[in-house]
Amino acid sequence: MTSAPGGTPLPPALSAEQAAALAKAHGLEALGGRPPFGTYVRTLWRRRSFLWTLASADAAEKNSEDRLGVIWTLLNPLLLVVSYFLIFGLLLDTKRGVQNFIGFLSIGVVVFGFSSAAITKGTKAIVGNLGLVRALRFPRALLPLSVTLSEAIRTLPAMAVLIVLMLVTHEPVGLKWLLLPVAFALQIAMMAGLVLMGARLLNISRDIGNLIPVAIRLLRYLSGVFFSIDHYARHHETVRDVLNLQPFALPITLVRQSLMTEFPIVWPFWAAAGLWAVGLLIAGLWLFWRDEAKYGRA
Amino acid sequence: MAAPEPPGTDSASAAASERRPSVIVSGVDVTYRVQGAKKAVASVEEDDESLFRGLFRRGRDLATMQTVEAVKDVSFVAYHGESIGIIGRNGSGKSTLLRAIAGLIPPTKGQIWISGEPSLLGVNAVLMSKLTGERNIYVGGQALGLSRAQVRARFEDIVEFSGIGEAVHRPMQTYSSGQAARLRFAISTAAAPDILMIDEALATGDADFKERSAARVAEIREQASTVFLVSHSNATVRDLCNRALWMEKGVLLADGPAEEVVAAYEATLPKKKPPAKPKTPPSAPSPTIPPAPKDA
Repeated sequence: MTSAPGGTPLPPALSAEQAAALAKAHGLEALGGRPPFGTYVRTLWRRRSFLWTLASADAAEKNSEDRLGVIWTLLNPLLLVVSYFLIFGLLLDTKRGVQNFIGFLSIGVVVFGFSSAAITKGTKAIVGNLGLVRALRFPRALLPLSVTLSEAIRTLPAMAVLIVLMLVTHEPVGLKWLLLPVAFALQIAMMAGLVLMGARLLNISRDIGNLIPVAIRLLRYLSGVFFSIDHYARHHETVRDVLNLQPFALPITLVRQSLMTEFPIVWPFWAAAGLWAVGLLIAGLWLFWRDEAKYGRA
Repeated sequence: MAAPEPPGTDSASAAASERRPSVIVSGVDVTYRVQGAKKAVASVEEDDESLFRGLFRRGRDLATMQTVEAVKDVSFVAYHGESIGIIGRNGSGKSTLLRAIAGLIPPTKGQIWISGEPSLLGVNAVLMSKLTGERNIYVGGQALGLSRAQVRARFEDIVEFSGIGEAVHRPMQTYSSGQAARLRFAISTAAAPDILMIDEALATGDADFKERSAARVAEIREQASTVFLVSHSNATVRDLCNRALWMEKGVLLADGPAEEVVAAYEATLPKKKPPAKPKTPPSAPSPTIPPAPKDA
């Protein structure tokens, strides 16, 4: 097969060895596969300003869908707090073991709200952005990370609402309030790790996406959003510890410890959260990187 | 094609040593795996009698994994300063080849080497349609490797070149397809990429934009970059390219000066074969695959 019907010659192809030698002689770089893990992480760091651009674009895109935009990020948690208060505070009376139930509940709703939004939207970051993935070459981990970050940005107004609610419910302002950003940062890292894992899973099989809302619902009930794990599981130490130390309950506990007087700072919780944050982020990055060459292919 | 050439292909290697290669493609296969029915047409032809059988057939086909060889054993070397048109019929593997060179689809077999960062923006490249053109310029520019400050510095240029004016502050979903394509072209060329790939982007602009984009492509070539252009417009390939690759059913059929390859390709187009399909209007793309040109 060396010429077309019109008689145009097809130049002789180089053999694989000749091609490799030519590439080497001119310093060309082999395409494909994935870079080594260390290089990958360094590239992610170098392109962090792009991460920021993607995240703020993503947040703006979501806010543009509603006419009231940012206001919903304030109204939504408030309405949730009200409805949970009606059901759990008044009807089912799950406020046992808690003095400031409104403060307790609103922290649970807002903090878990971020976990839920990050997981739900972040895991779709690859399969929902195939156009971008197929059009441009960039480290794919930027997408799930940017969605997590954008959900964090969108949670900030609700965090401000939390502060106001604390003041309204007579929580004294203290130095330990400064721990709030630390708790939030640890939560962002934990969720980023989980989101990276989920995004890879969803790329392998989209069917898994149907299970995520169920898992989130289950976690909402298991993470002490509207009841005190310490109080309700007080007779089962193992159950209590497992529920308390899982990555969805920990951030809620940490924020309660930062903002409410009835929850003193318990440093082992903070240490556990730190371990989860580092562990999940590294594991998430590593697991996500393993499929780097496969995103956007199917 | 990748049949082992005797090491002494003197003319080829001598020419190669003079020019600096930017892309080396060696024996590349790209295979897609497709799940589903083998013959989608079957359901159209079915009458009542065969419906029952058809159900069974489709049920069986659903379980089969089919492989589609989009690109088969393609090898070529592209050099700095070249502008290469990739021509061929629909489904001949042109876009797939381009995506493979851009590093977006890993080849199933073979190897690709490149110098620098490829930039591919086609008409189908989805930016964020709910966001303004302005935000998209930042997202696109940074995705292509520019820093925020660099994008800011080139922002006015990009807007001016695209000619969309005030529309840059409107969401991209309000753009006409021409406006969107122009903006994408402006973004992708703003980075002065080492390897620029254009997938049909030039087909959507008006005459004035075509002229300006041709000038921009020439400019990029002068910066010792390599330009790849996938196009169904033979005129565009003739105007903008000095070399052409002709793809047919995934196989690289011809590789040479644009003028010659395009002429050879045009010679096989349906209008040149009146006895085969007299009723087909010459301009409409033929739905049937014309008889494959025989190998020499």
